[in-house]
Amino acid sequence: MARLEARRVEAVLRKGSSARVDAAVPARFRAGDRVCARNIHPAGHTRLPRYARGRQGTITQDHGVFIFPDAHAHGAGARPQHCYSVRFSARELWGPQGDTRSAVYIDLWDDHLEPA
Amino acid sequence: MNGAHDLGGMHGFGPVERERDEPVFHADWERRCFALTLAMGAYGAWNLDATRYARETMPAGEYLTTGYYEHWLHGLQRQLIEQGLLTREEIEARMARLRGESDHGAT
Amino acid sequence: MTAREHEHEHGSHLAEVDLRVRALESLLVEKGLVDPAALDVLIDTYEHKVGPRNGARVVARAWSDPAYRARLLDDATGAIAELGYGGRQGEHMMAVENTPEVHNVVVCTLCSCYPWPVLGLPPAWYKSAPYRSRVVIDPRGVLAEFGLVLPEETEVRVWDSTAELRYLVVPQRPPGTESWSEAELAQLVTRDSMIGVTRALSPADLHAGSEAT
Repeated sequence: MARLEARRVEAVLRKGSSARVDAAVPARFRAGDRVCARNIHPAGHTRLPRYARGRQGTITQDHGVFIFPDAHAHGAGARPQHCYSVRFSARELWGPQGDTRSAVYIDLWDDHLEPA
Repeated sequence: MNGAHDLGGMHGFGPVERERDEPVFHADWERRCFALTLAMGAYGAWNLDATRYARETMPAGEYLTTGYYEHWLHGLQRQLIEQGLLTREEIEARMARLRGESDHGAT
Repeated sequence: MTAREHEHEHGSHLAEVDLRVRALESLLVEKGLVDPAALDVLIDTYEHKVGPRNGARVVARAWSDPAYRARLLDDATGAIAELGYGGRQGEHMMAVENTPEVHNVVVCTLCSCYPWPVLGLPPAWYKSAPYRSRVVIDPRGVLAEFGLVLPEETEVRVWDSTAELRYLVVPQRPPGTESWSEAELAQLVTRDSMIGVTRALSPADLHAGSEAT
């Protein structure tokens, strides 16, 4: 832990802070798979929004292995795992009044998902 | 957590209000709060995910009725106290001192 | 409570907020945890140096150069870095392209995640409860509020930035700009069009005095 010095600010901002983890963690899903977002309600930090829980979607992209925020926020380590772009149709999320020509794409991790 | 921050799909907030020629910061305290948050983030006592969670812990009623950088301030103060870098008493004492100085016109 | 009492209470509340921020800064500097000069650099960077003109250059290049557009869609982080932009809150970029068939719009329902290196800091409306709550459930309604009415057949894709991927919308190139230089094209690319709540400006908009923010 160290104080951020003024002369280092530009370099620190330019470097950023990547959440990607270089670890050979197997993916549970791949593009095209139908998945269901878990109906979990952790009291701590989660990046799985309530509006998606229990809803079915399709994996559109595997972003690779990333830090898992739900664990990382609470000092439980990075628990690195695959993060995916998951497409949910508006009908699936919002019911029969949902627009038939719109969808929400949410980035979710392996621990958020189960096979549909 | 099932906090007020998890807003997707909620009803009742009305139209999206936009400000013409909106400045990046609306007040000097916002500017300072932003910079302090980033500087303390770089200090290394916590990570970004913990920072987001700290903001989420704001009581729901307060979260929904305060501005964005007030959420940041809540989170920053909480993390500083939790990590033992500052105490609530120190903060209140410093506020009292600054309040006294501004009341008497001193800087 | 009267309007004046509201204003007074609001003013007192923000005065307390200001006091608390000053107290924290004073203590943190005193304890050597924060370098006050670093605060000034951070503020200057995001208030004056980083902003949507960066993203406008990326989009203008993609419009002008098909090979660049292909690289942007395949590896946005790398393509954006070619123009010298990158770093904090833009480490993992995704470019999503608008077409007549598909319109993209970006949000962070859970907080305010936004691609800082190409767009700067987000506007207050992007971080607000009305936008965050509504754009996922009624995107066409929100877009209509911004003056954008999409044909029914156009698919709307809302990207909720829940991870560290940051999304940049590539708006459609306006017609009548075929001979325009990149610099001229960049003038048409507004911040709002790169979030996806509006289209890019048309040449007519520009001549009428609209400005890309």
